[in-house]
Amino acid sequence: MKLVSLLACTILVTGCANRPSMYQWGGYDAMLYQSYKNPEKVIALRAGLESHIAQMELSKQKVAPGLYAELGTIYLQEGDSTKAVAMYTKERDAWPESRGLMDGLIKNISKSMGSKSEIKS
Amino acid sequence: MKFAKLLLCLVAVVLTGCASAPAKKDLSAFTAAAPRSILVVPAVNKSLDVDAPNYLLSTLTIPLAEKGFYVFPVNTAKFILEQEGFYEGEQIHKQPPEVLAKLFDADTVLYVTINRWDAQYAFIAATVTVEFDYRMVSRDGVEIWKATQKMQYSPQNNNSGSPLAMLITAAINAAVTRAAPNYLPLTQQANQMVFVLGPNAVPDGPYRILAK
Repeated sequence: MKLVSLLACTILVTGCANRPSMYQWGGYDAMLYQSYKNPEKVIALRAGLESHIAQMELSKQKVAPGLYAELGTIYLQEGDSTKAVAMYTKERDAWPESRGLMDGLIKNISKSMGSKSEIKS
Repeated sequence: MKFAKLLLCLVAVVLTGCASAPAKKDLSAFTAAAPRSILVVPAVNKSLDVDAPNYLLSTLTIPLAEKGFYVFPVNTAKFILEQEGFYEGEQIHKQPPEVLAKLFDADTVLYVTINRWDAQYAFIAATVTVEFDYRMVSRDGVEIWKATQKMQYSPQNNNSGSPLAMLITAAINAAVTRAAPNYLPLTQQANQMVFVLGPNAVPDGPYRILAK
């Protein structure tokens, strides 16, 4: 019994040690938590995502799933549709699983941008 | 960071007690569905802390993405659901999973219910408890995985005298203070247990398999 538990323990510990992370997250979870705790911190989340993504792109590393889109949504909420579309496009191109959703979001934004410019003219 | 991860692992090992190895649950439904992507929707909250669902949401992406799945951006998903008029977890969990999966073009939907998220105070120490029900449903509406996990921390239970236990106690103690209990370390451990370490852990997703 002791041997079994020792083995189980070893497997657990080594199993843990042998799982290096696949992505760099740039503090995404902590920044998101902070922005939920205090909505003003969404500015810090935006800045953090911007600098992390820039760093990843510069060193030609894959940006973790969802990060482009999360930044895009902050841009959208701030009213910057052009930047939002740019980020949703990057998410779509990096992650094929996101294609359906990203295409839908981009289409919706383009539609509302189109109707706005119609009102202007 | 590495040290923190190691600690988390050790804590998980201590919490599982190392001894029991319960029978593995049947994961054939999960394997058959072979999902590539997971939509995490806001949780149903049965605790009294109104902030719990948002805080929990911020902890779910990383363990599942590191497990090898595409995880839909949780804050973007929350925003889209709000645009559709869905603000509360209760309301969202009542929608047919097929409809949610189709809206996002997701392979599976992860539903979490917060059963416990509280701190009970005695003299100088607090016992902090989190407990979650996790459930994954495929895009055809079939339940493919479920788990329940409770994590509890109370400082007085951890005075075993062993150097390892004391180290862990010190690390967690720093996070749990009487004034503002921090539920995040316990929540992260609960997620780690159900998704990665536990007997019912989620099988590896396509990106983890690819990385091997």
